[in-house]
Amino acid sequence: MAEDGRACYVYGVVTDDRTDESVKDLPAVGDPEAPVTLVRHGGQAAVVSEVPTGKPLGTPDDLRTHARVLDTLAAQSAPVLPFRFGTVVRDITAVTDELLTEGHDDFARGFERLQGCAQFTVRARYEQDAVLREVVLEQPEAARLREELRGLPEEAGYDQRIQLGRLVMDSIAAKRSVDALELGRRLGPYALASVSEEPSSAEGLVNASFLVEDGRRQAFEEAAEELAEHWHGRVRMRLLGPLAPYDFVADALREGKEGDE
Amino acid sequence: MTVARQQQSQYLDRASSSALVDVVDLILDKGLVIDVYVRVSLVGIEILTIDARIVVASVDTYLRFAEATNRLDIARSGTETHGLPGLMDQIQESGGKKKTKGALEGVKESVSDLLQGDDEEDREPEAEERTRPRRTRGSTSHRERER
Repeated sequence: MAEDGRACYVYGVVTDDRTDESVKDLPAVGDPEAPVTLVRHGGQAAVVSEVPTGKPLGTPDDLRTHARVLDTLAAQSAPVLPFRFGTVVRDITAVTDELLTEGHDDFARGFERLQGCAQFTVRARYEQDAVLREVVLEQPEAARLREELRGLPEEAGYDQRIQLGRLVMDSIAAKRSVDALELGRRLGPYALASVSEEPSSAEGLVNASFLVEDGRRQAFEEAAEELAEHWHGRVRMRLLGPLAPYDFVADALREGKEGDE
Repeated sequence: MTVARQQQSQYLDRASSSALVDVVDLILDKGLVIDVYVRVSLVGIEILTIDARIVVASVDTYLRFAEATNRLDIARSGTETHGLPGLMDQIQESGGKKKTKGALEGVKESVSDLLQGDDEEDREPEAEERTRPRRTRGSTSHRERER
């Protein structure tokens, strides 16, 4: 199948019970014309498409497409083992004879662990005015600096401005750790595992991912909705999912190697 | 997504996202790295490196926060809805002359830079300070496992 200048992009691995239709009509990374197909071997199936080897991968569309293929499969049913973006092997023979043959036992462990589980990711951000208001009310020093700066022209009070801005950012950072814990406390009980990372923006609260079993999904979603209501006006909460278990797949395979928990 | 589900989510935003910053946060550096545990014929296609996760902790940001705090009308609590985009807009407005960028803008720029064939190695974003978010989890991180 692979000719000169073509290779095989691998999105991930699924179980063999998926139909070919499950990936039909999905867009492919690197070449919009290429079909996404399943390559089956030993009860497992790699999700692949052909890519030209001469062109670098990593455009915004490539990234979106990678996620879309995997998330579509995850939304249909678990398990899905997502590979890191940019995984490319020589050809279909390399997929069956090397990847699926050598990886078989590891993938099998992953499937067992992630059976009936999907990732949900919460992205929480502070409402700017609400959180600033909290800071001014809670920090007398911030209120004092604000008073001091009132009515001063733009060029005056530079040091106080810096001081106020730094105080506000530090206060938000302190709130962030408290609120991120609260989010974990409320949603964690409905998940098998969780990972959180600090957001990249100054008004971000947390990005947190949860591995949720199908049977607890509704309870998890309700808990998230409840927290979003509790924080309404102060924090904006978004919930993405079901997603492929990007944050949990590596642990699922590794833990299997160390023996069952 | 059913109508019933959407009605349930009055406060939670359930819209699926194709925003680049969301996708980058979700998938970049995540997922299985197959050559760690199986020997396969990997093909080394050039992968554009993208780091959208720029945290700005600069004098400029302090000033913006100070300004936003000063503008705040404490008396009218809870009714103002300037919201976060307000601050982001301000940060980006000054982005031209100062060195601060919104994360999304940063991605677009570095991707298009790279597509034009600039050096592919870790390019320093123009923001004065960049940090990768710290990940917290109970067990070993992806990075440690790759060694």
